[in-house]
Amino acid sequence: MSEAALSAGGKRRIAASDLAIPAAICIIAALPFFFTSSYWLSVLTLCALNVVLALGLNLILGYAGQLNLGYSAFYGIGAYAATLLIKLAGFEYWLALLCGGLAAGIAGVGLAMFAVRLKGHYLGIASLGFALVTYEILMNWVSLTQGPLGIYGVLPPPPIDIPGLVRITFVGSRSFFYLVAAVALVVYVLLNNLVRSPIGDNLRAIREDEVSAASLGINTAAWKIFAFGIGSMIAGIAGCLYASFVGTLVPDAFFITESFTLLAMVIVGGLASMPGAVAGAILLTVLPEALRSIGDLRLVIFGLAMTLVVLFMPGGLMQAWDTLRARRLRGPA
Amino acid sequence: MSDLVTTIAQQLVNGVVTGCLYVLVALGLTLIYSILNQINFAHADFVTLSAFATYFVVNKLGGSYLWGIAAALATGAFLGLLLNAAIFAPLRRHPDELVPLIATIGVSIFMENAQLAAFGPIPYQFDSPFAKSAIHLGRIFFTAQSVLIVAVAGLTIAVLYAFIRFAAYGKALRAVAQDRETAGLMGINTGRVLGLTVIIASALAGLAGALLGPVLVLTPFAGATVIVKAFAIVVIGGFGNFEGTILAGLLVGIIESYTTQFLNSSMTDLVVFALLLLVLAVRPTGLVAERRDENV
Repeated sequence: MSEAALSAGGKRRIAASDLAIPAAICIIAALPFFFTSSYWLSVLTLCALNVVLALGLNLILGYAGQLNLGYSAFYGIGAYAATLLIKLAGFEYWLALLCGGLAAGIAGVGLAMFAVRLKGHYLGIASLGFALVTYEILMNWVSLTQGPLGIYGVLPPPPIDIPGLVRITFVGSRSFFYLVAAVALVVYVLLNNLVRSPIGDNLRAIREDEVSAASLGINTAAWKIFAFGIGSMIAGIAGCLYASFVGTLVPDAFFITESFTLLAMVIVGGLASMPGAVAGAILLTVLPEALRSIGDLRLVIFGLAMTLVVLFMPGGLMQAWDTLRARRLRGPA
Repeated sequence: MSDLVTTIAQQLVNGVVTGCLYVLVALGLTLIYSILNQINFAHADFVTLSAFATYFVVNKLGGSYLWGIAAALATGAFLGLLLNAAIFAPLRRHPDELVPLIATIGVSIFMENAQLAAFGPIPYQFDSPFAKSAIHLGRIFFTAQSVLIVAVAGLTIAVLYAFIRFAAYGKALRAVAQDRETAGLMGINTGRVLGLTVIIASALAGLAGALLGPVLVLTPFAGATVIVKAFAIVVIGGFGNFEGTILAGLLVGIIESYTTQFLNSSMTDLVVFALLLLVLAVRPTGLVAERRDENV
C-alpha cells in the first residue's frame, strides 16, 4: 500500500522524508478507489491491521531484540477486553478501544516483569506459553467469553460528529479501511519518532549487548518492560479494531499460528526496519489472498515461500531492496 | 484396594504412558537445542508424517507393526537429512539465530498443509495390533501398546545415553556442543556431527510418530497437538538438558492424567502451561539446573 512512499523516508535528504507521510496519506486515500469490491476492501483493511501489528511486534523483536513468540495473546486480550467492556459494561467504543489497548499493555508489562530475566529462546517459549494459556482461558472461560462458540454481533464504531461539518460513519467497508489505515499511520509516525529518539538508542543498545548497555547506565530491565508494554498496547488496539471489523470473536483468531504469521511478517520485511515491517505485513497478507484461486495448496505455497524468502533474503525485503539500490547506484558491475 | 486408590494408580499408569510419548517427542527437540542451539518448529510435522508412514505400511501394505516403526524411523531420518541440508547447514553461519527458526516455521506451515491436501482432514482409523489387547494387573489395566510405548521409550533413552556417552560420534557430539570452534580445530568434522544430530533427532520424531499414531487421532494436525506440550516440557526440564526433559515429560504426562481425572479434560493445557510459567518465574533454568547460564 504505502511501502514505496514510506521507504522513500529514512536516512536520505530531509525533503524526501518530509514527503513520505503526505504521500502515504494520498496513497491510502486513493486505494479504495482502485480496489472497489468489498472483498478487496476487506483485504486492504486486513493489510492495515497487520501493519499495525507488525509495527508493534517489530518494536519488541526488531528494536529491543526480545523474542516474543506469543504476540497473538496481546492481540486477543485487547479484542476481548474491549468487546466485553462494550457488551457487558456498556462502555463507549472509543473508551473501550483505549481500555483494550491498556489491558493488553498491562498484560505485556506483567509478562515482561518476570520475563526480563529470560533471554532468547527461553523468553520465546515463555511468551509462547503465555499465548497458549491466554488461548485456553479464552476457550474455557465460557461464562465470560462464550468459549469456542464466540461472541457475535460486535458492532462497528459509532459515527463521529464534527459539529457543523461532517458526520463520519464506519458502516461501509471503505470508511472502516480509512479508520484502520489512519491508526496504522499514526502508529507508524509515533513509533518512527520513538525509535529515532534516545529511547530507540537505548533499545538498540540492549539488543546488541545487554551487559555493555547496563554498564553504560541503561536500566535494561525497565526499557525491556517499556518496549513490551508499548508493543502489547499496540496489539491490543489492533485487536479491538479487528473485533469490530469482523463482527465476531472466536479464540481461534488468536491462536499461536497468528503469532507465527506476524513474526514472519517482521522477519520477511526485515528486522528493525519500519518500512520493512509495513512491506512484510502487506506481502504476507496479500500473498495468501492472491493464491486463493489455487485452493487448498495456497498455504503450502505460502509456507514454502516463507522458507525461501528467509533462506535467500535473510535480511528481509528491506535489505534486498537496499542491495538492489546500491547496485543500481554503482552502475552495472 | 479402595476405588480411589485404584483410580490414582490407574491414572499414574496412564500418565507414565503419555509421559513417555511426550519424552520421545521432546528428546528430539532437546537434542537439536543442546547441540545446534536451534529450535525446529517443524518437529511436529515430522512426527505426523512418520505416523502416516506407519499407517500406510501397516494398513495399506499389510506390513507388520514393526515394519511400520522402521518406516517411521526412516521417514524421520530422511526428513532430518533434508532439513539439515536445506536450512540448518546453509544458515549455520548466519548471525541472527532467529532466521533458521523462522525458516522452520515456514517448513512447518508447508508440511502441515501439504499433508492436509494429501490426506484430508478426516481422522484415519489406525489400529496397532497391540492397541486392542488389554492386560490386567489387579484392578489396573493397560493395553499392550502402552507396554510397547514405555519399553521403546526406555530403550531409546538407554541407547541414546550410551551413544552420547561412549560412541566416538557421541563424544564428538558433546565436544561440538561445548565449543564448536575448538572441536573443529581438534579435527572433528563439525558440519557432519551437527547434521547427524538433526538426523537422529528427527528419527526420534519418527519413532514418536509410529507410537503415537494408534493412540492419538491420526490427522495432519496430530503432531501439532503434542508439540506445544513438548516445547513446554523442554523448557520445564531446562533447555537442552536430557535428564530434565525426561523428568519433565513424565511429570507433565502424570499431571495431565490427574487433571483429566479430577478436574476436567479441557483444563489439561491450562494446568501444563501454568506450570511452565511458574517454573519460568521461580526457576528459569528448568527443574534440573543447567550447566550453561547464557540464557538466563
